[in-house]
Amino acid sequence: MLRAERVVKSYRGPSGAVPVLAGVDLSVRAGELAVIQGASGSGKSTLLNVLGLLEDADAGDVWYGDVPVSGLSRSAQSRQRGRSVGFVFQSFLLVSSLTALDNVLLAGRYVGRRGHETRERARALLADLGVAHRWDHYPAQLSGGEQQRVAFCRAVLNDPPLLLADEPTGNLDDANGRVILAQLRARARHGAAVVIVTHRSEALEGADAAYHIEGGVLRQRASVPAKERGC
Amino acid sequence: MVSAVVRVRRYLFTVAGIAIGVAGLVALGAMSERIVRFIEGGDRFVLGQISVAGRGMGMGAGFTAGGLLPAARIRAIAEVPGVAVVQPQVMLPLDPTTSQFMTLTQELILGVDLSVPSPNRHYRALPVQAGRLLRDGDRRVAVVGAAFAASRNLRVGSRVTLAGADYEVVGVLDRMLTAPDRFVIVPIADAREQWVTKDPLLRTVVASGAMPLTAADLNTGAAVGWRDGEDPDAVARRIQARVADVNVQIPSELSHQLKVSTAFFSALMAGLAALGLVIGGLSLANTVAAAVFERIRDFGVKRALGATDLQLGGEILGEALVVTMAGGVAGVVLAVAVGFGIDVFVGERAQRLFLFSPRLVAGAITFSVLLGAVAALYATVRVVRLSPAEAIRRGS
Repeated sequence: MLRAERVVKSYRGPSGAVPVLAGVDLSVRAGELAVIQGASGSGKSTLLNVLGLLEDADAGDVWYGDVPVSGLSRSAQSRQRGRSVGFVFQSFLLVSSLTALDNVLLAGRYVGRRGHETRERARALLADLGVAHRWDHYPAQLSGGEQQRVAFCRAVLNDPPLLLADEPTGNLDDANGRVILAQLRARARHGAAVVIVTHRSEALEGADAAYHIEGGVLRQRASVPAKERGC
Repeated sequence: MVSAVVRVRRYLFTVAGIAIGVAGLVALGAMSERIVRFIEGGDRFVLGQISVAGRGMGMGAGFTAGGLLPAARIRAIAEVPGVAVVQPQVMLPLDPTTSQFMTLTQELILGVDLSVPSPNRHYRALPVQAGRLLRDGDRRVAVVGAAFAASRNLRVGSRVTLAGADYEVVGVLDRMLTAPDRFVIVPIADAREQWVTKDPLLRTVVASGAMPLTAADLNTGAAVGWRDGEDPDAVARRIQARVADVNVQIPSELSHQLKVSTAFFSALMAGLAALGLVIGGLSLANTVAAAVFERIRDFGVKRALGATDLQLGGEILGEALVVTMAGGVAGVVLAVAVGFGIDVFVGERAQRLFLFSPRLVAGAITFSVLLGAVAALYATVRVVRLSPAEAIRRGS
């Protein structure tokens, strides 16, 4: 489903370019859960941004299925993001002026899903995640765990084939963290390609592939320990 | 509509910020409009008639010169080719102690000969707010200007004392925002009596019999109308050439003088209005742009959710227009409320400072919406040029 080839990315710093990704290759199939670990500043969030078309790479290609999405125009990339990608961010990134339900529905707005059916699906997702009773609350009125559950509902509203999660449990307590990770695993079981970047080892549980990124270089771990695979 | 209300509630502080900028702009504009209307009204009046006064030393009230315009000269004026009608008038200061000062706020007694129709082409009849205008044969009745009435709490049926005599108010004029707002219009016979009462020199002259004067000779001036097709300036010059001992004001020259004498006010108000545009405009543009930049993270999130540049730009622009429109309307309402309050306060001294004309209100709202759109467009272009990741980073 997702393929990245020789992705290079650097940022401009006060004393010249700061390399972040140095020729990253990655392939995640539909139904596969891939976990990328690395220390802070290792480039894992940047990699996720490039994979999700949130920023351009300096070089290299990203493919969604057979589509070379990194070469598309800005508008075409936006449409691809809306249709194909669901994001779960560490800081939730809910729109503060919208209720929980409206935040979920926001994902449908830009891909033309606005009808009654979409609304019902959003309510069902909120119910699945245990926050249906909070549908009319604003983000400031929700706990961190509740916000992340709402954000997860937003990420999966359009049933995207690709889910990208950037430290999805970074701001959560253990119980909420487990819920979100379980939901991400369930999405993979239902056919989505799921990529989680995190520095927490519990994310490896149930993972099909594990990677480590350091100094902008991504390396696949030889195998995922059986315990961590949930066996 | 509901969504517009929700948006306005969401951006209450932005709306308030815009409203304050627009209110300042509208208030300054309304003061400018007030002065402009005053000047335009005077200009329209002087271009509608030829004003002739008895020759004097230039110390009379209104357009008069402090001299007499006897009946014989009125007849001579009427015989000048091109003259259609001559209306004898008596114009006196209400308070003679200030008669030397040709102030913009001078209160005047105007006595008009009602047997002659009004010669002024632009004011055939002054607009009446309540009651009626004077009629031929009236005595001891008065029609008062709106500011004069407001300052003394006069209405139709009220009594007013002029030069020691009691008058009934039979009419109150509409507010015209020009000189007649401070007029007390009375029949010419009553005005002649007041003149004699107020002017010791005239009283001495009449009592001494040194001049053979009748009541019909007691005029300070006359309003002269011209025949259709005549050039009013040419008729005025003809009067000047053919009738001795009169001060004739050439309409176009008087209009020019009026504009020159009020040029300072015009320039001052134009400057204030320009300042209002700049300050109000900058405040508005800054508020709208800041409101967009403040939400940069939300826009980054929307881009991440698939919003295209066009979708996001349209959304930002639409919201900015709704907010700017709401701020513009609120600003106008605020300015009108503050202006009304100040006018009530200064109205006790027969003043009015603000004129919220339809063109001003429409102009202010149009200006604020256009400027808001430009500011929002600028901010939108800046926002959509960022990558979604950069927008999220900057807003976090």
